[in-house]
Amino acid sequence: MPKTLLYAFLTILFTSVNSLSVASELNIYSHRQPFLINPFLEAFTKETGIKTNVLYSTKGLAQRLKAEGENSPADVVLTVDIGRLYIYADMDLLAEIDSNVLDKNIPIHLKSSSNTWFGLSKRSRVIVVSENKVGDGEINKIEDLADPKWKGRICSRPGSHVYNRALMASMIAAHGNAEAEKWARGLVNNLARRPQGNDRAQVKAIFEGQCDIAIINNYYFGKLKFSEDETQREWIKGLRLIFPNQEPNDRGAHINISGGGVAKYSKNKEAAIKLLEFLSEKEAQNLYGEINFEYPVNPKTEPTSELKSWGNFREDKLSIVKIAELGYEAQKIIDKVGW
Amino acid sequence: MVIKSKLTERTFFWQLFVFVSAFLISWPILALVHLSLGYSSNLWAHLFETVLFTYIFNTFTLMVGVGLCAGIIGVWSAWILYKYDMPFKNVLEVLILLPAACPGYLVAYAYTDFFEYAGPFQVILREMMGWNNANDYYFPEIRSLFGGILILSFVLYPYVYLLARTGFLNISDKLTNVARIYNRSEFWSVSLPLSRPAIMVGLSLVCMEVVSDFGTVEYFSLQTLTLGIFNVWIGMNDIGAAAQMSLFTFIFIVMLLYFELKSRGRKSFSTIKVADDYSQTIRASGKKLALNYFLIMIPIFIGFLLPIIILFFNMIESITIQSLKSSILVSGNTFFVAGLGSVLIMITATILGTLNYMLKNRNISLLTNLSAMGYAFPGTMLAIGVIIFVGQMDYFLKNLFSSVFDVSPTIYLSGTLAVLLFAYLVRYLAVGYGSIVSGLQNIPINLHYASRTLGSSMEHTIRKITMPLLIRFVFAGSILVFVDIVKELPMTLLLRPFNFETLATYTYQFAHDELMGQASMPALIIILVSIIPIIFLNRLLVKS
Repeated sequence: MPKTLLYAFLTILFTSVNSLSVASELNIYSHRQPFLINPFLEAFTKETGIKTNVLYSTKGLAQRLKAEGENSPADVVLTVDIGRLYIYADMDLLAEIDSNVLDKNIPIHLKSSSNTWFGLSKRSRVIVVSENKVGDGEINKIEDLADPKWKGRICSRPGSHVYNRALMASMIAAHGNAEAEKWARGLVNNLARRPQGNDRAQVKAIFEGQCDIAIINNYYFGKLKFSEDETQREWIKGLRLIFPNQEPNDRGAHINISGGGVAKYSKNKEAAIKLLEFLSEKEAQNLYGEINFEYPVNPKTEPTSELKSWGNFREDKLSIVKIAELGYEAQKIIDKVGW
Repeated sequence: MVIKSKLTERTFFWQLFVFVSAFLISWPILALVHLSLGYSSNLWAHLFETVLFTYIFNTFTLMVGVGLCAGIIGVWSAWILYKYDMPFKNVLEVLILLPAACPGYLVAYAYTDFFEYAGPFQVILREMMGWNNANDYYFPEIRSLFGGILILSFVLYPYVYLLARTGFLNISDKLTNVARIYNRSEFWSVSLPLSRPAIMVGLSLVCMEVVSDFGTVEYFSLQTLTLGIFNVWIGMNDIGAAAQMSLFTFIFIVMLLYFELKSRGRKSFSTIKVADDYSQTIRASGKKLALNYFLIMIPIFIGFLLPIIILFFNMIESITIQSLKSSILVSGNTFFVAGLGSVLIMITATILGTLNYMLKNRNISLLTNLSAMGYAFPGTMLAIGVIIFVGQMDYFLKNLFSSVFDVSPTIYLSGTLAVLLFAYLVRYLAVGYGSIVSGLQNIPINLHYASRTLGSSMEHTIRKITMPLLIRFVFAGSILVFVDIVKELPMTLLLRPFNFETLATYTYQFAHDELMGQASMPALIIILVSIIPIIFLNRLLVKS
């Protein structure tokens, strides 16, 4: 009897999915939270009969994949922010994929040139202002935020957060290092308080009257608007959302992506590709908007009606990989100006 | 007089045993050292010119501030609960430990919610005083270095409290009686100095926890070295420099510990409580009793009750049957890994601690001390060390099996619960080992010599002499390790098997998306889950 118990115990300890994995199951390393991706995966399983297993972590999954090497059970990597996708490609952890569906569904500036990673949804970094305190047309582009007239009126999360770092990188791409640094210095001089909190907290600060202007990711606007928490729904009343850099000659609003790729040593590549294809098709592309207020990458899919009601915008068509490549320089400037 | 045992076969076996285990546990740390020697984009000049001094200043201030506050709170509460008899004492003994079960970053969330400008506290304050806006009055900013010190102190003081109290309990009443006869303060002249090793271990755990904390400093945007490590790693894609920075903090901690050990010098702290000692708690009454209650309630209120109340009100706004069901399912997993992990860690710590103490081999004890210092690394960095180790083991096993048995096995370590438990061992051995070592300092070495001279083997001496004198510290260590594992986040997140959640990871997926309502329930269950073992182990600790 004790022996049987011991064996049972050891089995629990050393059982991992890879020893049980069957061809019909797909193993996913995800930087997105389970509650955000489960609706997609349920729809995928329903359509294909392929079951999925998820490991969610915010940091270090690339290192885990690398250390596991060819023994890794992972088939698919899903992540937000181009910087992270780029790291996977940079460490040579993703397989090159040949898929007509993905080629057709995803615009060229939102995927890697070597077909290792693919953007699956877009989010825009937008400006929100207090309707009463900032006049219509006073702020049109991200560059305006460095104007000394906004001194003490802007709120922001720390510059070294991935979203702000990506924004900084887009400024370097547009204006070069020196100009971008000058802009960042101007922005930091205009801050109403030490950079702190997350994007939600910036909206709250406008609501409280600590500042009049903030930079946030567009989906927070939707999340707050439809929050379960009544007080959070209050915060966005009296806010105006501005898609920056929309003038005819301007470059368009900075965007970032969520995306994915197939693990280099996946033993189940066919199903892995099927999942990425599924995520780029209409049903899933719609879900991104419905669940998380993100924009579809597939040009054939319209944004949800809620997203459309915030206004149309033109995006910066800069190849998204540039944002990742400039991340290093961007962080250096952020350190220098103390954002 | 030092009796050196001959290097018999048996002691050789034990030396080898300690060496191999300590080496395996140190491997992830060594892997980080190796990582730091690899490619790095030569960032130091840039860091030096820009943020490095801010990082160092903030880290240092936070550590000293928290060390002082947590030290004072821990010692004062330990003394009151050790010395005085008061109604509901057994309830207070459990409550005083509970702040340790609450993840610091969640307390930070709760406090920010409550005390910031739009929070209920300032709203009521404004209404009562007739103030209109922030210009009418001064209120300290909660998201600040000051706020960070406050919050971390009140969630970390239990480390000092528990070890100090265990230290007090182990002091012979004969010594305290001597102090009383000579009309000297029992606290200052006997209890405090004799508990110094235990208190220092508690403080060093607090310091390590502070320098490795990520959640709280990130939420408060405090530019500390840990935050810097992640800026360099994630932001600049330079894990080599990130490893260098975490080693830098590590060496800093090692130096602090070294100086403390040096300053202790050859002082002896051994004391033995024997069976005929009688308990001498004082029954306080009147003003003294009220004061004691007040002093004990401060840490309980700030570290436990207030955050719990805030979390509770967050929770009832968004509770659903579904989320309740999932949280309860997940608590089973949590209990399982935390229970198993703390047993594993305390057994390892006891074996390594006592053997080291008996064998007195300098090199081996250096290695053991290294293996018990994983705590000083940010959890994610240490997890990377573990990942590298496990990856290497997997390759090794695969080659071994395929060359010896000509089969390629399908079972690997990576992604199993065993790896997760090993990771807990690497991170929290410090907690168990520290508590064992402070216990060993209380035992007069002559007892061992006497036992050995009388012909007992080392194993027999450990079993019959050392263990009974050490058992309190084993229980104290288990409590701390258990609550540490229950709330552990970064390693569990990265190393767990597929589809496996603990309460901490389950909470985090919501907290990460700033959904405090949904995060509050699993957070509360984390605390509930911790209550049972705390009651149980605390009873063992006091009675033994």
